[in-house]
Amino acid sequence: MTELVDVVLGGTFHAAVLFLVAAGLQLVFGVQKIVNLACGSFYALGAYFGITAVGLAIKLGMPPVLFLPVLVVAGLVIGLVGLPIERVLRTIYRRDESYQLLITFGFLLMFQDVFRYLWGATPRTMDNVYLAYGSAQFLGVRVPTYNLLVIAASLAIAVGLGLFLERTKIGRIVRATAENRDMAEGLGVNASKIFALVFTVGCMLGTVGGALVVPSSAASLDMAVELVVESFAVVVIGGLGSMRGALVGALVVGLMRAAAISLVPEMEMLSVYLVVVLVLIVRPAGLFGKAAA
Amino acid sequence: MLDLSNLKVDIEGSRILNGIGLSVAAGELVCLVGRNGAGKTTTFRSIMGYRRARSGSISFEGADLTKLPTWRIAQRGIGFSPEESEVYTDLTVAENLELSTWTRPTGRAATARIEEAYTVFPKLRQYLARGGGQLSGGERKMVSIARALTLDPKLLLLDEPFEGLSPAIIPLIAEGIGSIRAMGKGVLMAESNVHHIPDYVDRIYVLERGEMMFSGTLAQAHRDRDVMRVIAGQIEVVS
Ligand SMILES: Nc1ncnc2c1ncn2[C@@H]1O[C@H](COP(=O)(O)OP(=O)(O)OP(=O)(O)O)[C@@H](O)[C@H]1O
Ligand SMILES: [Mg+2]
Repeated sequence: MTELVDVVLGGTFHAAVLFLVAAGLQLVFGVQKIVNLACGSFYALGAYFGITAVGLAIKLGMPPVLFLPVLVVAGLVIGLVGLPIERVLRTIYRRDESYQLLITFGFLLMFQDVFRYLWGATPRTMDNVYLAYGSAQFLGVRVPTYNLLVIAASLAIAVGLGLFLERTKIGRIVRATAENRDMAEGLGVNASKIFALVFTVGCMLGTVGGALVVPSSAASLDMAVELVVESFAVVVIGGLGSMRGALVGALVVGLMRAAAISLVPEMEMLSVYLVVVLVLIVRPAGLFGKAAA
Repeated sequence: MLDLSNLKVDIEGSRILNGIGLSVAAGELVCLVGRNGAGKTTTFRSIMGYRRARSGSISFEGADLTKLPTWRIAQRGIGFSPEESEVYTDLTVAENLELSTWTRPTGRAATARIEEAYTVFPKLRQYLARGGGQLSGGERKMVSIARALTLDPKLLLLDEPFEGLSPAIIPLIAEGIGSIRAMGKGVLMAESNVHHIPDYVDRIYVLERGEMMFSGTLAQAHRDRDVMRVIAGQIEVVS
């Protein structure tokens, strides 16, 4: 029983972070129709910048309980790099998909060098945050309080994003632009502005995800590519372009991985990709994807 | 209000509009008539800035539109309802109509603008909460025209508002367009079937293979043999 709770909590924690990155990927794909491979770099960028921000907070003598909000703010601030990157991507929106993949892949590679240059090649860790939040009793299992807070934060972001897209004026304009950009412009929508907004929000989802995860693991050069691979599993399972798909896909991937790690650790990614292959065979459009017309 | 002069538009290297001129005065209802492929949609899409003119001018209230992005053209007060309606399926009917009130705030309250659209097409009230994907072709057309109207425009561009609709619904749309004109708004509508031209139009233009071959009243057009040969040609063959 405790083992099950352990797996579920560990899996949900991983899913919470994965969801943020995948949601960014889905949002950008839904509106701009580009598959952004650089989403993994945003995640790593958030992690590295989070370490720097917490380091600064420690220097300023901030109490450890404030570290979580510091990380969230750090993620949001560094997410603004999405703005200049979108300006570059803007030139290829109407190009062939292969160009788009190549250019976002190019960003992924360039970011690797930027990380190496700024933060060095050895992984950077930070455990002062993790320890500062202590642990809590949950269904008879001791779990790090920090993990529960991250799950709660991710859930809040999911709900907030959903409400934004469903209920607000801008959210509806975003959905209209996603469905039919030309018509939106014909009705007075400045689609370039919407694109810049969406890309920046998508980027922030990734950087906040990275910033939130770093206290529990490390910031490393491998994490960007690792996350791209996992996000793709999430997107294939959930369906490209669907927010609900990102949520369910992230849970499936997170829980599968946690279960595999506890049962047969060597099969960690294999188990995830078994699900991916199964979904591709049975439901090629993913669980929540719109079937290709 | 709207003036096109000597407008030339090419698509993929071939000349589609060959120096056409056209004007719509404030409050006027003008019909652009032409057979399939004559260039009506191309004219509308050029006015809206989706296509760039090779040469010639398009001006609206004295300002040049040819270099403006589409969204700015719309914000100047031109409401566009395209041939395929293009109603948002991911939004409800009510949200489709509200959208244009957010993108172009004018002195008039959004509620008043939306209310006005419902008086033009009273049937729409029944579908408010319905998704844009759950509508018939005629209902979609009404939403599309109503959405152009909630922009609170000075001019509406309606591309073939009767095309493909059942005979039962055509009078409803025609009535709606009549009441839009009665509000004092300018309307430029495209039509390929001469028998669908509402008798209350002020003037018509006849477009044939990218050239404007006639401009005048509907009655004058009916007396012009060349015009009738072009726009009523298909019907004469049948009868
Ligand atoms: N995207 C395009 N690529 C190539 N040719 C095009 C394109 N769009 C229009 N054309 C050509 O331009 C000409 C005018 O087309 P347009 O759609 O403006 O005609 P229309 O008068 O609106 O016809 P319809 O009554 O069928 O709607 C046609 O010969 C058409 O084949
Ligand atoms: Mg047409």
